[in-house]
Amino acid sequence: MSGTVNELPRVAFFDFTSCEGCQLTVLDALQTHPELLKVVNIVEFREASSARSEDYQIAFIEGSCTRPGDEERLRKIRETAVYVIALGACAHLGGINAIRNRQPLLDVRQYVYGDKAEWYDTYPARAIDQVIQVDAVIPGCPIDRDEFVRVVTVLLQGRQPKLPDYPMCIECKLHENICVYERGQVCLGPITRAGCNAICPAYGYGCEGCRGLVSAPNMESFQEVLAQHGLSQAEIDEKLSLFLTNQTLLEKELVHG
Amino acid sequence: MERITIDPITRLEGHGKIDIFLNEEGDVANTYFQIPELRGFERFCVGRPVEEMPVLTNRICGVCPEAHHMAAAKAGDAVYGVEPTSAAKKLRELLYMGFYFTDHTTHFYALGGPDFVMGPDAPVAQRNILGVIHKVGLEIGGKVIQARKYGHTVVEMLGGRKVHPCTSIPGGVTKGLTEAERQEIEKMGRWGIEFAQFSLQLFSDLVMGNPYYVDLILGDIYTHKTHYMGMVDENNHVNFYDGKVSIVDPDGKRLGKYAPADYTDWIAEHVEPWTYLKFPYLKNVGWKGFTDGNDSGVYMATPLSRLNASDGMATPLAQERYEQFYDTLGGKPVHQRLATHWARLVELLYAAERLVELATDEEITSDKLHNVPTQTPTEGVGIVEAPRGTLTHHYWTDERGILTKVNLIVGTTNNYAPITMSIKKAAKSLIKKGTVVNEGLLNMVEMAFRAYDPCFGCATHSLPGQMPLQVTIRNNEGEVMDVLSQYVHPAFLCER
Ligand code: SF4
Ligand code: SF4
Ligand code: SF4
Repeated sequence: MSGTVNELPRVAFFDFTSCEGCQLTVLDALQTHPELLKVVNIVEFREASSARSEDYQIAFIEGSCTRPGDEERLRKIRETAVYVIALGACAHLGGINAIRNRQPLLDVRQYVYGDKAEWYDTYPARAIDQVIQVDAVIPGCPIDRDEFVRVVTVLLQGRQPKLPDYPMCIECKLHENICVYERGQVCLGPITRAGCNAICPAYGYGCEGCRGLVSAPNMESFQEVLAQHGLSQAEIDEKLSLFLTNQTLLEKELVHG
Repeated sequence: MERITIDPITRLEGHGKIDIFLNEEGDVANTYFQIPELRGFERFCVGRPVEEMPVLTNRICGVCPEAHHMAAAKAGDAVYGVEPTSAAKKLRELLYMGFYFTDHTTHFYALGGPDFVMGPDAPVAQRNILGVIHKVGLEIGGKVIQARKYGHTVVEMLGGRKVHPCTSIPGGVTKGLTEAERQEIEKMGRWGIEFAQFSLQLFSDLVMGNPYYVDLILGDIYTHKTHYMGMVDENNHVNFYDGKVSIVDPDGKRLGKYAPADYTDWIAEHVEPWTYLKFPYLKNVGWKGFTDGNDSGVYMATPLSRLNASDGMATPLAQERYEQFYDTLGGKPVHQRLATHWARLVELLYAAERLVELATDEEITSDKLHNVPTQTPTEGVGIVEAPRGTLTHHYWTDERGILTKVNLIVGTTNNYAPITMSIKKAAKSLIKKGTVVNEGLLNMVEMAFRAYDPCFGCATHSLPGQMPLQVTIRNNEGEVMDVLSQYVHPAFLCER
């Protein structure tokens, strides 16, 4: 039996720099799984309602931290929420926003804003856990709808959600896909965390690593494989920086700002 | 000067703001609608391989990633000078029709339509899909969900990932269609044709059957005699995926058609000091300020523009509706912005019909998906019609296909000048001699916005039509006298 609205866990959604694709996926999930709305009380969701609340237990955060002011907002959320969940690659990894971390930031500003460059801050894009402690992650760009539903369910049961921690290749082989390397393409499957049903390789496109690195990936041997496939170091860096800039280039590159 | 601010509250401070300045008599002197540049996308694409653009640029916006995916893939074809296989082009177009079907449905039922079905004076709380369901009947909610789902399914079947498809690459696509999938799509498409016809019927019953709405649509508030832009096929019929871009003047006379590669011969961009975003205009006509007429290079690119810039629709049922549209509204071109909602439904029907055409094309299950690029990459332009206007991607690369420069003209940007003009006109008609600003103003400004379905996802991150509006009334000293605000509910959350 579900309780009255007031007794249900209070859930809030927040967005930072993103394309909002993950929140749209959540809206989608609420349509396909309307029963979710019977077990949680959504108190803030800008995409869907004007309601604002400062009283919530579970906070979902979409998007990257890209301005100093974002840090303050994030700390406020952390203080209020019991449980903070990063939603999607932008929040989990810095996502594509972090591509710019590899480029001299002043250069970016001048390119976009010309002589108004000083209006644009020189702040490298950060994953949420580079600013506040994050309790769980729903990876992907966008998040996988079913995984979202699964994580929410597990959370509501008071358990800690667990992501698969093996490389995409395992999942990909289970689906009996033709390996894209056999077609002369490149794939980040060997170092990427599984869990999306290897959807891109299944559609003939190499994995871009949007779910982030698997724990303890063997980067060296992977880079050797890429080199054997004729990629220059610059090309390897490019591959690794679509989603993995902050995870792979963090120490040596994240010095602007 | 008294100043009124309508401030869509976004997380990007200072962006997406409307300022209305009154003169001493309390009439509107000027309006400024500010939106920012893209988030540095054009720059951070530089240095990346051109093959990656279909999956990188789609992340600009979660509302219309399919449009960026397609424009980027086509620009990639052009950069490599490679022609995709015939089947690949059809598969891309099929995915794109699924996208249009969902997007136009969402707009009409959740965002633009409720203004009409419920009436512009209805309280905000009713002007949403729930209000529509209440008025039209419960079963419509289910149909709308179904329609959206069908469109999404087509995108997923062909594009892989849900929000951001990954299958279009320079030279073709990576995934074909099985016979079973083809049959499913055909079935969904046939249902879609019925749904679109039903929606058009709903519009003519509820809106065109109501003299008040007809007056509103035909009235002067939302009328601007501008130039129009839209992509057409070789028969000058509307096409969303491929063709040349047709330009007509305010009398409906075609000034010409340009191939994607020639867009810079036609389009130039005007800069105003008060906003980051540039105002594209027709180069040969020239920038004459925020004004309409044959001498002003301001043009519009929306569903209404596409109909105005074409000679008809390529599918039979949509063509019937096209003729009915112009017969009812007094011939071509139609300048009344609110007719855009109707035009969007004509396009919805076309998208469904085209979906069935493609799904029943013999070649659609072919496995000839990809032509391998063999030429040295250089420069290329890709254009598609995004639901919100003509979308242009222009790339320059070095000989390894690494991007050296990127220029994007996104759908909504085309309409920046006309949107600014519509806001001013709506404000002028509602603020006279210092009349108290009330919700009517917000509604009318909102309706002006919504006709264009502006998507600043790439900029302000507001979803189309659901801009939270806030009007701040200030006295001469700039002190806040009053604040009015309202939110627009997209309502998909609560439509169970
Ligand atoms: S993770 Fe991807 S889909 Fe989600 S908000 Fe970021 S860019 Fe959009
Ligand atoms: S396609 Fe990618 S994920 Fe699949 S087996 Fe090959 S390398 Fe691994
Ligand atoms: S296959 Fe890779 S890039 Fe594709 S969705 Fe999965 S993790 Fe992301």
